[in-house]
Amino acid sequence: MPVLTVRNLAKNYGSLAALDGLSLSVEQGQVFGLLGPNGSGKTTLLAILLEVIHPSGGSFTWFDGGEGEKVRRRIGALLETPNFYPYLNADQNLSLVASIKRRPNPPIDELLDLVQLRDRRRSAYKTYSLGMKQRLALAACLVGGPDVLILDEPTNGLDPEGMVEMRQVIQKIAAQGKTIILASHILDEVEKICSHVAIIKKGKLLATGAMGSILSDQPTVEVGATDIENLYRLLSSVPLARKISRQENRLILELEPGRIPEEVNRLAFEHGIVLDHLVSKRQSLETEFLEITRK
Amino acid sequence: MNPLLLLKIEWCKFWPSGTFRVFIGLYAGSFALVMFLARSMGQNMTFTSNGAASHPLAGLFDYPNNWALLACIGSWMNAFVLGSLGVFLITMEFSNRTLRQSVIFGMTRLEAAVSKLVWAVALALSATLFYLVLGFGGEILDGNLGLPPVGQVACFGLQALGYLCLGNLIGLLIRQTAISVLTYLAYVLFLETACRWFFYFSVAKTRLLLFLPDQVLGALSPLPVPESVNHAINSSPLTRSLSTAEAAVAALIYIGLFAALFCRRIIKANL
Repeated sequence: MPVLTVRNLAKNYGSLAALDGLSLSVEQGQVFGLLGPNGSGKTTLLAILLEVIHPSGGSFTWFDGGEGEKVRRRIGALLETPNFYPYLNADQNLSLVASIKRRPNPPIDELLDLVQLRDRRRSAYKTYSLGMKQRLALAACLVGGPDVLILDEPTNGLDPEGMVEMRQVIQKIAAQGKTIILASHILDEVEKICSHVAIIKKGKLLATGAMGSILSDQPTVEVGATDIENLYRLLSSVPLARKISRQENRLILELEPGRIPEEVNRLAFEHGIVLDHLVSKRQSLETEFLEITRK
Repeated sequence: MNPLLLLKIEWCKFWPSGTFRVFIGLYAGSFALVMFLARSMGQNMTFTSNGAASHPLAGLFDYPNNWALLACIGSWMNAFVLGSLGVFLITMEFSNRTLRQSVIFGMTRLEAAVSKLVWAVALALSATLFYLVLGFGGEILDGNLGLPPVGQVACFGLQALGYLCLGNLIGLLIRQTAISVLTYLAYVLFLETACRWFFYFSVAKTRLLLFLPDQVLGALSPLPVPESVNHAINSSPLTRSLSTAEAAVAALIYIGLFAALFCRRIIKANL
């Protein structure tokens, strides 16, 4: 069942098209990554979906065709930066969120435990580190038990430890079966967390699908030998790899579908070339992303 | 939409704010202090003419002029402190991006706008209550208790609400705190007067110029001067002001207009 359906969404700022007829669909339970370089339109898309920006064209529907405040109360969202009253503490800020969401008596203790902020609950928000602010924003998103979480660059500005902590919390929430829409330009983050991904550039959707369908199953093989020239000629003469590139004294092979790395080793050995290096790699999202966005 | 819930939300947002409390303290403190100074100096002020001593300002402190004088002093606090607070209440939401966040959390844009207007009404009522407390306090000290004229009290509340709404609107249009407050203060201090004089001398000598917002709101609390002085003031087109009844009607129209523009802007704008 689609949780979100976006149809030909457009947003223009004068002559600049921040979104250009973008369509996509997010199903229930997916951890959906919105991937794109800075300025690709990810935040604009989320801001429109959360109704803080008006679209120039197109439409979207949440859940079973709804929009408006009742729908937004079923969504927890962190857009760009955490936004709270700086002089209020965590308890007061979360109570305010609960009032806005019409959810009396929210489980504030549980939420603060989840984001590891219980010991700083009485400190003013302005005294928090960026990581703590992000974690409080995540707790605010969870007030009222939303069906969907929207997280825009949730690890932005965090140190490596903070990034790991934030990812762990998100994965914990995803494990509860909640739908999560996560926008990021950090490929590693999306690859580690998301089940599905959409790649956006200049407001246009370039690719979308399950992470497995975006990432090629075919491995990339890196080989090396003393006689690298001979090896290159040999591999170029057989239909084993669809692309061979050289990196210093190594060859990078993108194998044809159905071919396996052992065949490279066997072929070289049969022709008297002994490999001194063979590493099989799965194609990374980074490679795929760069390929797609460079088209 | 539940106005009481919106009021509760605004209270929880702003009451803990140090800046908000400074504004409230400044309003109450300066209002009370100016009234105290006026009473202590004005009541005993003596003029001697041809050997005869007189107390020309003493009448200002007698019932019912005491309430008009208090409203006149309060009108400065309404214009400067309460109006600036109106600006701050909005720009603070934009500088912290909390208005946008409230919409993301599920508040409708109309609710976001109405919550500000409900809060402005509550603040105007509180200012009116403080006006009554000061007025009765002065009367108790004088041992001469009299009920305030209802129209005077209503006009004071209307004036407080008018300045708050004007501040809200300027804050919403500019969004940046320092520039908004300076623009607001410049408007009530001299911009409107300068425009009025410019139009009067360069464009048209029309009475319509008395219906500009600050003129209207200021006319809700005229200084209780003797009739002869009042006549002199109204004989000059530049110092003339509206009657209280005219000002009350115009202020109601302005408050409605400011509120409508405020709501429309929040509903239509990208937050």
